[in-house]
Amino acid sequence: MALLEIRNLHATVDGKSILNGVDLTIDAGEVHAIMGPNGSGKSTLSYVLAGRDGYVVTEGEVTYDGQDLLAMSIDQRAREGLFLAFQYPVEIPGVVGLTFLKTAANAVRRHRGESELDAMDFLKFVRDKAEALDISDDMLKRAVNEGFSGGEKKRMEILQMAVLEPRFAILDETDSGLDIDALKVVSDGVNAMRGPERGMLLITHYQRLLDYIVPDRVHVLAHGRIVKSGDKSLALELEAKGYSEFLDAAA
Amino acid sequence: MPDGSGHMQPFLDQALAGAKGASGAKAAGWLSDLRGRGAAIYGDHGLPSRRDEYWRYTNLNALTKSDYQLANGAPAIDVPPLPHRAVAELASYRIVFVNGHLRPDLCVLDDMPEGVLIAGLGDMIAAAPDRLQSVLGQNVDLNALPLAALNTAFMHDGMVLFVDDGVNIDKPVHLVSIAVPSDTPMMLQPRHLVVLGDGAKATLIESHIGGSGGAYFNNLVSELTLGERADLNHYTFQEEGPAAVHIAATALNLAAGASYGGFVLQSGGLIGRIETRAILSGPGADCRLDGIYLGTGSQVLDNTIYVEHAATGCRSRQVYKGVLDGRARGVFQGKILVRRGAQQTDGYQLSRTLLLSPRAEIDTRPELEIYADDVKCSHGATVGELDGEAMFYLMSRGIAYDAARRILVEAFVSEALSEIRLSQVAEDFSAHVRNWLGANIQLAAAE
Repeated sequence: MALLEIRNLHATVDGKSILNGVDLTIDAGEVHAIMGPNGSGKSTLSYVLAGRDGYVVTEGEVTYDGQDLLAMSIDQRAREGLFLAFQYPVEIPGVVGLTFLKTAANAVRRHRGESELDAMDFLKFVRDKAEALDISDDMLKRAVNEGFSGGEKKRMEILQMAVLEPRFAILDETDSGLDIDALKVVSDGVNAMRGPERGMLLITHYQRLLDYIVPDRVHVLAHGRIVKSGDKSLALELEAKGYSEFLDAAA
Repeated sequence: MPDGSGHMQPFLDQALAGAKGASGAKAAGWLSDLRGRGAAIYGDHGLPSRRDEYWRYTNLNALTKSDYQLANGAPAIDVPPLPHRAVAELASYRIVFVNGHLRPDLCVLDDMPEGVLIAGLGDMIAAAPDRLQSVLGQNVDLNALPLAALNTAFMHDGMVLFVDDGVNIDKPVHLVSIAVPSDTPMMLQPRHLVVLGDGAKATLIESHIGGSGGAYFNNLVSELTLGERADLNHYTFQEEGPAAVHIAATALNLAAGASYGGFVLQSGGLIGRIETRAILSGPGADCRLDGIYLGTGSQVLDNTIYVEHAATGCRSRQVYKGVLDGRARGVFQGKILVRRGAQQTDGYQLSRTLLLSPRAEIDTRPELEIYADDVKCSHGATVGELDGEAMFYLMSRGIAYDAARRILVEAFVSEALSEIRLSQVAEDFSAHVRNWLGANIQLAAAE
């Protein structure tokens, strides 16, 4: 059984139709990449999967681990193991990063029938993971993402993923705004999470990220549909030729 | 009762009787005069109504619906434990009033240092009225505060805190007011007097708590006079019972170089109004008034501030944060008056309100009146709902809707809490906020 199965997904935002029949199947243990020009619906797809308000599914279905994903609330999806690394992580003044992480981790642990971690145990649990991502204690003690650089925000997203240990992770433009060193750190963090039980969907505009996180499959999204699929060589092809072929074809 | 002009003057007969001498005791002439003046001003003015400029948003009609009787001496009843655990465990001088009357058996006033006097106003009136004459009633503008005039007509008990020049009190003073309502609506008219000498330093914590048994009207007045370079940190919990009307007027006078830090947490009562009138009378005085108010149900919580810069180089700052749920209404009125000649004034005011329900309401009225030309004054007010993006972000990490709301409301309030210097007070303030959120946010989600 596929971990995630998207069938004929249509969605609108503010009454405007953005997704026009997406079909995509991802098995556990696989990493897929979705590439596509700006405005093709990449981020919309990630928000629809995460359950964001205002993203209205008008047709189609999404099955996650055998369940109807679209029937679940945002937080339920997350507790069931779906994770979205945001393209633009949200700053939340007044909420300490570490407290936020612990609250989230314990919500997920409770759901899985695991014991909750107290502050001390949690700190131990999070420290190793944070260190690997070059995240200092000081960063954890600051308010969530407040005043963080683009790179720091992206590293915090990966830390959250590492802490929540999702079964399926969507990484939305995780490479944007990263210099080459940060890209390496983030990619190492993502690669460390790859495993036979976990699926991933990378959403990216550029091929660069895929040099570091090598996907099993690559799909091209244009005008709200997947117009081409292939292996990792498709990404290189796109890098060389650009997206114009797909834009023209649909125009 | 309405008089010919349409003014409502409940309590007037009682006030006139009260002014003639509390419980028939013979009072010093100046004191009778002061009480009489209070009764007269209240009689002229009547109960504040919407026609009064600073009472447009807070309607006191509830006070005309019941026959409130002055609470008699403190009943020998068991008193509920203080809800503020950290503060209760803090070493402090404690002075406790039950239904507006001093309860010596509950006070902890041993080993007071030299130069410090903490006593009941009633005892002081009886034993040493001369020490009161030059200070009692001196700082309150009764014409601007008709309910303070009413309080003046009745005043018989409260706290007196005198700190001599240069004395720094070793422990905070904790004033506890406990209302134990009964079937008969009662009114309390406590009067507190704080005088810090030049260079004196003190911390005052007030806890106003009340039971849920019935309606009561707690009409308190505090007069705070700070000498030159005196320093007062003042924390207030307003957690009256659910059927209470809590009207607190604080008259504050700061001499040169004096520093006042006031912090109020208001969440009790059916109607709560905390009104502060601060006069910065000496150069270089510093006055901070911060507060948090949490309203739900059909509560009205009013914060009214008047700060008068009457000298050069003074600084005033107000940061208020409100969270309103259900059909609760909040009021923030903040006026800063800069007198001619009060140059190098630095004034800052911020009111931020979070509305958790579509039926909650806030009336905000900032006001600057400036007659000096070398002045830095700014004010701002924001009203908003919880940030949808932040809600999505928290929930996308597995945090449930209610819990996410609580986290964001607590974060909104926590910025104000970070200003509190005394850790036990900060701890109790945050515990109270968390309890309030725990009790109220789920209700909101269910609506």
